[in-house]
Amino acid sequence: MAYIGREPQIGNYVVMDALSASATADYTLQSGSTNFIPESANHLIVSLNGVIQKPGSSFTVAGAVLSFSSALTSNDSIDFVIALGNVLDIGTPSDGVITNAKLAQDIISSETALTDAPADTDELLISDAGTLKRIDYSLIKTVNTPMFSARISSNQSVANNTATTVAFATEHYDIGSDFNNSDYKWTVPETAKYLMNIRLAFDSSAEFYSALSIVKDGTGDIYSVQMGHDEASDSITGTVIASLTATHVYYITAYQSSGGSINLIGNEQQSEFSVFKLIS
Amino acid sequence: MTSLATKIKLYAEANGISNLDFRKDVIVKDFSDGTGAKITEWNIDSLAQPTSEQLASYNSAATTEENNNAIRATRKNSYGNIGDQLDLIYKDIVAGKLDTTGEWAKKIKAIKDANPKE
Repeated sequence: MAYIGREPQIGNYVVMDALSASATADYTLQSGSTNFIPESANHLIVSLNGVIQKPGSSFTVAGAVLSFSSALTSNDSIDFVIALGNVLDIGTPSDGVITNAKLAQDIISSETALTDAPADTDELLISDAGTLKRIDYSLIKTVNTPMFSARISSNQSVANNTATTVAFATEHYDIGSDFNNSDYKWTVPETAKYLMNIRLAFDSSAEFYSALSIVKDGTGDIYSVQMGHDEASDSITGTVIASLTATHVYYITAYQSSGGSINLIGNEQQSEFSVFKLIS
Repeated sequence: MTSLATKIKLYAEANGISNLDFRKDVIVKDFSDGTGAKITEWNIDSLAQPTSEQLASYNSAATTEENNNAIRATRKNSYGNIGDQLDLIYKDIVAGKLDTTGEWAKKIKAIKDANPKE
């Protein structure tokens, strides 16, 4: 590219710390008392006794060591050594000029991998409608909690034609402590979408009609399953994904119309009320 | 103990209303809090919601009703499936025994005798 006036020069031009000649060919290059490793001999201008030396023949470079072709004496004078820039130091790029193509494609894969889940305060880069921003891991991680699972502790009688609150008195787990195993009600801990699952089994070989309902406290059913039973079928199950609002309260009712009371079987295999959060 | 719903059913029948729908007409709930079942909705305009005393008068009849319902269920299970019963009847017909001497009739009678209603 042509320029009007002086072509801009980019680079890290450094005059090396002064070197005193002695009875050796080798001298350590330093800048600010720190060893300096030039890219090659061709990146140096070396003046010895008032004569510019030819790189590669009059002197060579290995690491930070400049070696003249023969040993000097204390009568010689190393006038100066100038490093003609460090190709690794290209100055500060202008805003927005580093394209993807200019990046090494292993800038991620070559780094040490995390072997555990990131901490909540670990940060990621994200494009927010085209603007790069950082975001805490805690804001994007998916966690299926709060969650709980409970069962009926012992057989529970369900009277004829009576919507009976199912007594899920034994908790398998309750992450968040949002289920009350005394009144058998679950309080929605945070507004989100939840998967709710219910399994019940009636202890009867008769033919009868049954229903289970997820009841929102104070308002009524939000979900209901009805089922006709014969002597070979005594179970009723229901699953629903629902958008629920924090602080609302839900419980399960069972209903049957056999003409008399029927027990719900209170064991781990045949009764369960479980809920877990799917996504906020 | 008889259910509140059974007593309500008998109360309604005594007042000319049959086929109560306990999912719509009357809602009975038991909150499993130790206080027993309650009427939470009464949607029959033509009949007043019964008092506790009125319902208590049906205690005995409700017990009989539920006991008999249990007996009906036991009998139904014992009768076996309809296909098997038809097969038995067919064999009785072929044998010329479509009366109380037939195998089907004897089986049904034995079940009824073993499970009498109150």
